[in-house]
Amino acid sequence: MIEVRWHSRAGQGAVSGAKGLGDVVATTGKEVQAFALYGSAKRGAALRAYNRISDEQIFNHAKFMHPDFVLVIDPALAFTDNIEVNEKDETKYIITTHLSKEELIAGIPALAGKEDRVYVVDCIEISLSTIGRSMPNAPMLGAFVKISGMFELDYFLENMKRVLAKFPQKIIDANMEAITRAYNEVK
Amino acid sequence: MAVKYDLNEREVWDGNFAASQALRQAQVDVVVAYPITPSTPIVENYGSYVANGYIDGEFVMVESEHAAMSGCIGASASGGRVSTATSSQGFALMAEVLYQASGMRLPIVLNVVNRALASPLNVRGDHADMYLGRDSGWIQMGAFNAQEAYDLALCAFKIAENHDVRLPVMVHQDGFITSHTAQNVYPLTDEAAYNFVGDIVPVDDMLDFSRPVTYGAQTEEDWHFEHKAKQHKALMDSRPIIDEVYAEFEKLTGRKYNRVESYDMEDAEVVIVGLGTTVETARVAAKELREEKGIKAGVVAIRCFRPFPFDQVRDALEGAKAVAVTDRSSPGGAMGAFYNEVAAALYTTESRPLVTNFIYGLGGRDFSIEEAKRIFIEQKAHADAGHITTDIQQFSGLRGPHLGYFQTKRG
Amino acid sequence: MQDLKLKANENRGLHQLEAGFDLLGWDEVTQGSVLPSFEGDATGIAGLKAEERDYSHHNSYTATVASWRVKKPVFNIDVCIDCQNCWVWCPDSSILSRDKQMLGIDYDHCKGCEVCVEVCPTNPKSLLMFSEQEDLETALSQWPEKKKKEKK
Repeated sequence: MIEVRWHSRAGQGAVSGAKGLGDVVATTGKEVQAFALYGSAKRGAALRAYNRISDEQIFNHAKFMHPDFVLVIDPALAFTDNIEVNEKDETKYIITTHLSKEELIAGIPALAGKEDRVYVVDCIEISLSTIGRSMPNAPMLGAFVKISGMFELDYFLENMKRVLAKFPQKIIDANMEAITRAYNEVK
Repeated sequence: MAVKYDLNEREVWDGNFAASQALRQAQVDVVVAYPITPSTPIVENYGSYVANGYIDGEFVMVESEHAAMSGCIGASASGGRVSTATSSQGFALMAEVLYQASGMRLPIVLNVVNRALASPLNVRGDHADMYLGRDSGWIQMGAFNAQEAYDLALCAFKIAENHDVRLPVMVHQDGFITSHTAQNVYPLTDEAAYNFVGDIVPVDDMLDFSRPVTYGAQTEEDWHFEHKAKQHKALMDSRPIIDEVYAEFEKLTGRKYNRVESYDMEDAEVVIVGLGTTVETARVAAKELREEKGIKAGVVAIRCFRPFPFDQVRDALEGAKAVAVTDRSSPGGAMGAFYNEVAAALYTTESRPLVTNFIYGLGGRDFSIEEAKRIFIEQKAHADAGHITTDIQQFSGLRGPHLGYFQTKRG
Repeated sequence: MQDLKLKANENRGLHQLEAGFDLLGWDEVTQGSVLPSFEGDATGIAGLKAEERDYSHHNSYTATVASWRVKKPVFNIDVCIDCQNCWVWCPDSSILSRDKQMLGIDYDHCKGCEVCVEVCPTNPKSLLMFSEQEDLETALSQWPEKKKKEKK
C-alpha cells in the first residue's frame, strides 16, 4: 500500500490531481482511492487530499495515514501547515517553491535533516508559463511520477490525455507540457 | 432513444458518480430534486445526462426537499421509474413525505448520502439522517464503498418495483467518505444493467385512464391500523425478495450481497457491528489484530437496515463472546438506536453475548484502524473477564474527559 | 313526494357513510390505501354522466350522508332562472344540473348546509329550506310570494 497526502488550497486542483492520479494508476490494474478533507471550503482555504494505491481492494476508509509521499502544491502551506504530521522515516516530500532545496529546508525546521527525501519544484511558475494560470496540480503529478518511479513518463502522459479528454486540445497540450517540465525540473 | 455513453470495464468513480451512473443505466424516467451537499452530484449528473441525451427522462428542480419527494410521489403514482437524492437537513425536511411515499407503496429509489444533522451545522458524514428514516416504512440498504453505491442502486429499483414488494428503497452511502472518495468501480454494460433492472410494470398508476384511482385516502381509527399493518407485513415479506435480487445480481457480477454481512466470523470471539464505511475499516483492524495479537476478531455489518434482519443478526452473533455495536449518530439521551436493536436480538439467544455501545464518528470524525483495534481489545477484556468491564455506552474518538454511561449488573 | 333518487344510478347512496362497508382485516385492505373509483374498465368515463357510471364501493357516490341533514333544501322549478349559482357554490356537488338546466337536489349527498339557498338570486328564492320530513308538495304550496321593493 502506497499512501499519498496532498497539501493544497481549494481551487489549486489537489482533488482533481488526486483523482487524476488515481485514474491513471487504476489503468495499471491497481486499486486506488482518492479523497479529500474539505467541506464548505472556499477558494484559498487550506485542504488536504489523499491517495491510496494497492494491489488489493482498499478497505481502509480512514483519513488517517502515515503517508509515503507528501505533495505540497502551495508554497505558503509548506511553512504554515503541519506537512510533516504522521510522517514515517522514509516519507518523501515534494514541495512547490521558488526557493532552492537548501533555502526551503532552512526555513522549515520540521524538514531539517531530511535533505535526502525533500524534493522541490516550482509548480506555480510552471503552470503559469504553460497552462497560463496558477494550476499547480498538473506539474505536481509530473514531479510525483519522477520521484515515485511508479510510471514511465510517456505512459503517464498517454493516460492523462484520456483523463483530460473532455477538455479542449489546447488545455490538454498545456497540461502535458506542465507535467513534462516538472518531471524534468524536480530536484 | 438515449445516446450511448462510453464506459470502461474499470472506472475510478466516487460514490456520487457511481450512483448517478446507476440512475442513467436504469433509465430513470423522472428525478425531482432540491440538491444538497454531499449528495448534489447524483442529481446534477442525472440532469446533465438528460440534457445531453443519455437519458430519455425528466429532471425537475423544485423549491425544497419536501417538494422534491412530493414530486417523486406524483411521478411514481403516475407509473414512472423515479429516483432522487438527498442528505441531512434535506432528508429531515423530506421526512414527512417519506411516510407518504411508503404508505402509498410507491417504488421510489432515494439515494441518501449520509450527513450529520445540525445544529451545529456540519456537512460531513454521520448516520443521523439515516436513523431519522428508520420508522418511515422504506427499505434501507447501506453501501460501504462506491462500487456498492452503484450495485445497490441497481438492485434497489428491482426490489422496489417487484410487485410483491412495491415499497420505496433508500440506498445509503457515507457522505464524503464514500460519496467523494474515488475508487475502482467495475460497472456493468448499459445493456446488462438495464436487463437486470428490467422495465417498470406500473401498479395502480394514475395515468391508466381505464382505471382511475384515488391516492392519499384518509383513514381514521377504523381503517388506519389495518393499512399500517399491511404495510409492515409488506416490509417484512420483502426479505426473501431482497435475497433473490442479491442472488441474481451475484450471478451477473460475482459480487455477493447479504442482508447481514459477516467477515472473519467463523471463530470470532470479539465483534464490531457496524454500518457504512466503518465496516470495511473495522475489517482491516480485525485482520491485523488476528495476525498481531491472535485476537479472534470479526465484523458483522448490516447491509439491510430496514427491514431489520433480527433473525440473521442473532445467527451471526450468537457465537460471539463480546460485541461492540457502533452508532454513528448522536443518541439523544438513550443508548444508540442501532445498539438497542442488536441487543434486543441477542437477548433472545441462549448465549447472550456481552454487548456494549460505542458512539463515534459524529460529523465525519475520522474512524481509524487504530480506533477499531482499541474497541476490539476492550471487547477481549470483557470476554476474558466474563462481564462488561467498562461503561456500557462510551463515546469513542472524542476529545476531553471520558464520556460513558451505565454499568453492567451481570457478573 | 319529491324524487329522492333524481338522476341516480342504482348504486348511489347505497350505504351509510358511518357504517361504511364491512370493516375489513389488514389482509383485505387495498395496497397503499389506493382506491379505484369505478368497477371494470372505465375508459371514456369522463364522457358519461354520473348516473351512467359504474362507481365502485370506494367512491363516495355509493355512500349516503342524507341522515346528517336536519333541514333540506327544496327546489322550485317555477321560479328558477338556471343561473347555476347554486351548482357552483354547493360544497358537496349535490345540485343536479344537465345542459345548464337545474333539475334538483342529490338528497343522498346534500348535508343541508343552506349555501344554495343563500346564493340563490331569484325573488322569491328558488331554493328554500324545509324540515326534513316535509314532503315536496306541501313545501311548494307554502312558497312565498315575490317581495316588493320597499320604497325609500
